[in-house]
Amino acid sequence: MGRSRIESSTPPGRTLTRRLSHAWKFRGMYGMAILPVAFFLVIRYLPLWNAQIAFKDFSPLDGVWGSPWNGFSNFAAFFRSPYLVPLIRNTVLYSLAKLALGVPAAILLALGLYETGHRMLRRVVQTLAYLPHFLSWIILHGILLGLFSASEGLFNEINRASGIGTINYMGDPATFPFIVVFSDLWKEMGWGAIVFLAALMGIDPALFESAQVEGASRLQQVRYITLPGILDVIVVVVLLRIGTILDAGFHQLFVLYSVPVLDVGDIIDTWVYRQGILNADYSIATAVGLFKGLIGLSFLLVFNRLAKRIAGSGLY
Amino acid sequence: MNKFKAQAFLALALALCVVIGAGAQAKPVEIELWITGTASEAGPPPADWAGYRIVRETLGIELKLSLLPTTFTDQDMKINAAAAANRLPDILHVNRDVFIKLAKQGLLAPTDELMKKMPVRTKTHYDDPLRNKLAMYKGRMYGLPDPGKMPMTDGWVIRKDWLAKLGLQPPKTIEDFYQVAKAFTLNDPDGNGKNDTYGFGAFIETSDITNWGLGVRFDPILGAYGVAGVWDVTGAKNFGLNVRKPEFYDAIQFVARLNKDGLIDPDWTTLKKDEFRARWKQGKYGIMRENFAALSTVANYPAFDKNFPDGEWIPIPPPVGPKGKSSEGMLYVDTRIHVVSKRAIDAGKGDAVARLLEWFATDGYALAMFGEKGVNYTLDADGNISTAGLPDPDKSYAKSAMVPILQLRNLASVNSDWELLPRYVPHKTLNGRTIRPLEIWRYFTTQPWTEATAALLIEPPANKADFERFYTENLVKFALGQQALTPASWKAFLAGLDKLGAKELEKSAKAKVEEAGLLK
Repeated sequence: MGRSRIESSTPPGRTLTRRLSHAWKFRGMYGMAILPVAFFLVIRYLPLWNAQIAFKDFSPLDGVWGSPWNGFSNFAAFFRSPYLVPLIRNTVLYSLAKLALGVPAAILLALGLYETGHRMLRRVVQTLAYLPHFLSWIILHGILLGLFSASEGLFNEINRASGIGTINYMGDPATFPFIVVFSDLWKEMGWGAIVFLAALMGIDPALFESAQVEGASRLQQVRYITLPGILDVIVVVVLLRIGTILDAGFHQLFVLYSVPVLDVGDIIDTWVYRQGILNADYSIATAVGLFKGLIGLSFLLVFNRLAKRIAGSGLY
Repeated sequence: MNKFKAQAFLALALALCVVIGAGAQAKPVEIELWITGTASEAGPPPADWAGYRIVRETLGIELKLSLLPTTFTDQDMKINAAAAANRLPDILHVNRDVFIKLAKQGLLAPTDELMKKMPVRTKTHYDDPLRNKLAMYKGRMYGLPDPGKMPMTDGWVIRKDWLAKLGLQPPKTIEDFYQVAKAFTLNDPDGNGKNDTYGFGAFIETSDITNWGLGVRFDPILGAYGVAGVWDVTGAKNFGLNVRKPEFYDAIQFVARLNKDGLIDPDWTTLKKDEFRARWKQGKYGIMRENFAALSTVANYPAFDKNFPDGEWIPIPPPVGPKGKSSEGMLYVDTRIHVVSKRAIDAGKGDAVARLLEWFATDGYALAMFGEKGVNYTLDADGNISTAGLPDPDKSYAKSAMVPILQLRNLASVNSDWELLPRYVPHKTLNGRTIRPLEIWRYFTTQPWTEATAALLIEPPANKADFERFYTENLVKFALGQQALTPASWKAFLAGLDKLGAKELEKSAKAKVEEAGLLK
């Protein structure tokens, strides 16, 4: 019986040989994968070991392994914060607003660039749209101050000249969120359009030619060919953004917010910066990071399933 | 023959050992130093700075120097990140909050033994028992409390030319201040026909638990009500948070009035220090609290002078409040705490660290303060610093291009007159007026201040982020009028603080200050 079982299964040596020969056959592909895989192993997976300090009272001297366990107290410290609800609310709302406005704007820009017949115009617009992405938020803060400053901003000069009076755009909780969302939109729209533009380039031109022969208008072509043609990419982009729903843009908020707008400007990451990093409470910072990751993962799983059901495609 | 070979081999091996040993001995000890540069706008000393060579040749130390970021928060972040990885440098500058955290985490080496190895420095730098207490943790010294910045450097100043133009007298009381600020805002004091000036200029400048809230730029206003600073540490009886006093409410009410009437730059809550300074140099403000050096030295004044050759800032006494109180701000026995990492001592670098620090207090003192003798400075007949007779006047220590080679002054300075006079040299404005920065500073020192050294011992609460936000946010909202300032809302604010642990914080703070023997 034992003998027949051995005979019926594939010899281990042969399996290995087959696998090696398969790998050799696709050596180019595997070669290309080495760097990304190494990147994810080193940058994304190895640090997961350190995530255990979320459950520890971390002391640098004792190290990650040597620090004593303290259960969920670091999570509790975050959940006990009187600002927990506003922090989560601000984070999610900024994320959703940036997603809801950013993705359609990037698609529209990509469509516009794709549809335009003027090559020069396309190049100029494309370059101008990409440029803000390369500016840091520090520089953008200067630009925004020049536009919105209460004492010497351009808009307030106009307001005062037209008798409206001074509006403290950057320091008013009613106007600050708009500055956050629209400055992000302006900065990232061009960059975000790249991926959609690439997807548009992949649509078979024959489809458009056939549609033209059938008498379809430009708008109809967009509606029935272009958008369905990039639907998969849209789904992927949206799902990836949903996976990081609790990352509302630390750098931007950190630079732009000030005390009077903390109500609407403080997000989870800025709280973590103040309590976890500046206060050297690394365990709390890690616990909140872990919490954010878990929420992001849950959202990703749920929305991926929804996307597959509704749009017929998902991330995996 | 074999015996000869063996002897020859042995001799060769011995010679090699000697050579290797000598090489090892000659190899300099690497000391990594993170320090706050003297001038935030300048970079570190260049690679060919004489100090590197001298330290290598005379002390056997290879100095690896990094300037810490210029803002407190960025400094703390850099240090905390290194601490988290147990990768602190050998010597570094820390503020007291960070000092306590690093000491608690066991990352710092005790310094009492180290101090015995640097007798001159200990005598010249660590001779103040009060300052030494600020570098203690659990009764033992874990830091080197070097003399900090000069005391009483920031004070109340006003545009004298604006006063003259509007025919006003310098304000004496807090109400005078309001009226002058109003005139400066509304009556076009610069005569340019535009409504582009503000009576008062400020921004929220906070760094630690002693100055949360509106920050130090508002201290003279709060001082007029007897509540400058977050803490009252003037006595055991009244120890606690100043916000509990009714006068604090009055002070915030006054700031709210200034804000409501548009007498303060409406950007005060969003401005950063550089933007604030750019604005007074552009002639936006008439009254402010400013650092005497930032206001008047040869390096800082020209930008204002160029815009307003006839403009003139003068120091005046801080405003007097309804109960006759006034204060320029909080007075600390200031210290710059340098710490030595436990890692450095464990690596056997203790002696080298002591050698280096002692050198900065002895042979390297003048080099750190003024550069190379005969290159960057000379000495006059009385032994005072001079620039007369320098072969290349462009290399004078007073030239802004030479600032990078003086970035380590904070390791050497003891704030003696010998140091200060040449650092803050008198200079002429474009219209020929002479500005003497030290005179402005001396004026500040003659004004009333609020003793607050003990407040430096107070440790922030565990829920620092929430507590600080609640405290600062509410005060700013009251001042801006975003939140109605009424006795009821103030009571709710105090109740909110208590809910966040204010009473416990006050209790532990008092115990800490009493333990240090600083509470009368």
